Amino acid sequence: MISIRNVTKSYGPKVAVHDLSLQVPAGELFAFLGPNGAGKTTTIKMLCGLLFPTTGSVSVGGFDLRADGDHARALVSYVPDQPFLYEKLTGREFLRFTADLYAMPSTKADEKIEEVIELFHLDEFVDDLTERYSHGMRQRTVFAAALVHEPKLLIADEPTVGLDPKSIRELKLLLRKLARDGMTIFLSTHTLDIAQELADRIGILDRGKLLGCGTMDDLRRQANQDGSLEDLFMKITEETPEAETTAV
Amino acid sequence: MNAELPPVADQGALFWRLRARLARNGLRVMLENGRVRLFTMIGTSAVVSAFTFGVSLYLFNELAVNKIPFKGAIVEALFDLLFFTLGTMLIFSTGIILYASLFTSPEARHLLCSPARADHIFATKFQAAVAFSSWGFVILGLPIFVGYGLISGVPWYFYALLPLFLLGYVILPGSVSAAGCLLLVRYMPRNRKQFLTMVGLVLTAVALFWLYRIGMGFRRSLVTAGRELDDLIGQFDLLRSSVAPSHWMTRGVMAAARGDLPGALLPLAQVWSNGLVMFLIAAWIARRVYRTAYDRLSAFGRGKKVYGTSALDRLMNALVFYLDKRTRVLVVKDFRTFRRDPTQWVVLAIFGLLMLIGASNFRQYYSADLAIMDKYAISLMNLCGTSILLCAGLSRFVFPLISLEGRKFWILGLTPVSRDQILRGKFAFAATGSLIVAETLILLSDVLMGLPPEGLVLHAVAVAVIAIGLSALNVGLGAYLPTFKETDPSKIVVGFGGTVNMVTGLGFLVAVIGLMVVPFHVAQLAKGATGGRVMVNPWVYAGIPVALIVGALAVVLPLRAGARSLRDMEF
Repeated sequence: MISIRNVTKSYGPKVAVHDLSLQVPAGELFAFLGPNGAGKTTTIKMLCGLLFPTTGSVSVGGFDLRADGDHARALVSYVPDQPFLYEKLTGREFLRFTADLYAMPSTKADEKIEEVIELFHLDEFVDDLTERYSHGMRQRTVFAAALVHEPKLLIADEPTVGLDPKSIRELKLLLRKLARDGMTIFLSTHTLDIAQELADRIGILDRGKLLGCGTMDDLRRQANQDGSLEDLFMKITEETPEAETTAV
Repeated sequence: MNAELPPVADQGALFWRLRARLARNGLRVMLENGRVRLFTMIGTSAVVSAFTFGVSLYLFNELAVNKIPFKGAIVEALFDLLFFTLGTMLIFSTGIILYASLFTSPEARHLLCSPARADHIFATKFQAAVAFSSWGFVILGLPIFVGYGLISGVPWYFYALLPLFLLGYVILPGSVSAAGCLLLVRYMPRNRKQFLTMVGLVLTAVALFWLYRIGMGFRRSLVTAGRELDDLIGQFDLLRSSVAPSHWMTRGVMAAARGDLPGALLPLAQVWSNGLVMFLIAAWIARRVYRTAYDRLSAFGRGKKVYGTSALDRLMNALVFYLDKRTRVLVVKDFRTFRRDPTQWVVLAIFGLLMLIGASNFRQYYSADLAIMDKYAISLMNLCGTSILLCAGLSRFVFPLISLEGRKFWILGLTPVSRDQILRGKFAFAATGSLIVAETLILLSDVLMGLPPEGLVLHAVAVAVIAIGLSALNVGLGAYLPTFKETDPSKIVVGFGGTVNMVTGLGFLVAVIGLMVVPFHVAQLAKGATGGRVMVNPWVYAGIPVALIVGALAVVLPLRAGARSLRDMEF
């Protein structure tokens, strides 16, 4: 579903992502980890078609993001860490707008809207203007909008920020179920236990380079030690010499 | 292998529905929770329109009294200049608003991650930008032409065609500006600073050369009153050529005024068709370059620039030496934010150029030794022009300061600085900057014009009262009527609070200049006209203490109201 080939992204003289190659098959839940400034958000923005690689190529569902971006983006949903909602729309109107934007047939859109309202428990506030929503309500509405058009790929940047423990639990169960049903999920997070609990594979990025990628067992072999993801993460990111990871 | 090709929505219709729904919900919220705000907005717009209408009636009546033909070359040249000026202003204002909406707004980021086509995102942002930048054009333009129609006697369809002309005219400059904005962001050379400096210098040189030619033509026409009037009109040849959109407007409006309906419809069709074609070109450009321009802007030299303190920050810090250290830190923070925001700098450059033009006109009159243009009249014009520009500049830059703290206001709220100090800091920032700029311009022009010492002192005091009073009004009302949800300062300015602030500021200007300066100038003009036989009555200075009281009230009342509102604010 995701194919990142030899991607480098530069911001002027600074290289944010350096020669990154990554394949994520359909139905996989992939967690993307890394310290602040590692290049995770830049990679996500390239997957959404918001930014383009300086060199290399990114494609989703076989559509190249640069050459065939409109088709590629139609397969993708992105939940950013700072959710956007139209302040003067109700939650339901926003869901309807999203469904229409992705060209869903009207009857199917109605059904899906009711389904996600129930799924994310939006019914109490879905007909209020979103300007009155709390952060958690906004996050749930954005998630509902991301899923309303049944994307092939869901990209979420820190999806649990602002959610209460019950909602986090429900979200984790939902993400696993969606992956089981065939949706590809690309998760960027700093919460290592969520990545360990949910992900089929984990990628660790630091200073723009992919330092490790695979299942927990793969990472353990690579780090040459047992333990939790936190231990592996610390070992892998601390062990890599500066010169090897500095992408300039 | 490619996934199944996804269906495509009718995005044009979808975005129209979105805008309509946003407008409907916004209006409903306003009617439910903010009727006072809505009616005040309508009321202030009506006051501005009525004022413009009154002034227009008076001026067109003066033309009638002086037997200047309403449908002749002079009025035509004036309309050419008016439409050209408004068109130029629309280009700048639409471009700045569009830049912010296309490249920095969260909505644009959201839509760019969706399958929304780049040209549809552009179109919806373009409509919003044009609506924001042109409402003033319609509110001010309509009364001027209705006034013209009433005095000159025009057929009914002149009034019917007016809105069509004005609405059609905003599309063309808006589209030119949009295309320019997109191309500039996409293809601007890497070294933006050098590029912008070069473009700025060339534009300023061209503008000054053109103004010089107009000034010389104007001087000759006033001195000799012969064929030189043709020379003056000749300076506007560029605006009067058949390819100038401003001239299409003039031709159409004048033809409608003369009762030549076919002659009016052809330019109207020209204005609309060219505007729409230009819009299509801009949308085509957007489809080709918007996404890559966004990418390019995001990736522009990040990590290269090392920000630090500059000599300008240290100067600002020194200028507000009378404040305590914490407040000085806030002032320098505001100044630093201001100077690092290129959209603010562009607008400042426009204001600066306008102020320069206003202040530079005296030179031509002075060197021409024009008896008819008395130095008192010219210096009064300079004072009024500078004050109006000061009012516009402060409304644009200072009024939004509190609103721009926005959702980050809690950071300031948690600092060991009281909210009164925050407000005082912003007031000091505004008053210091505006005092320096306005006093420099006015005193320099008055000295070169040879105004007597009492005139100099009077102007210096008046400008100080205006600069300090306007600064307090803008800071106080900015805190009293903030718009925390809006991140674009140009939209904050044209919102409810901004409109109230602008009208209040203009009222304050009229009061101070009327009380403090106008009686002195009228007396001096009378003295000049009678060859010095009439002496200046000391009563002309009677308005000064009243104006000082008005100035003091303009400082105390808004700041007090703003401070109270800021203290009660929750975050």
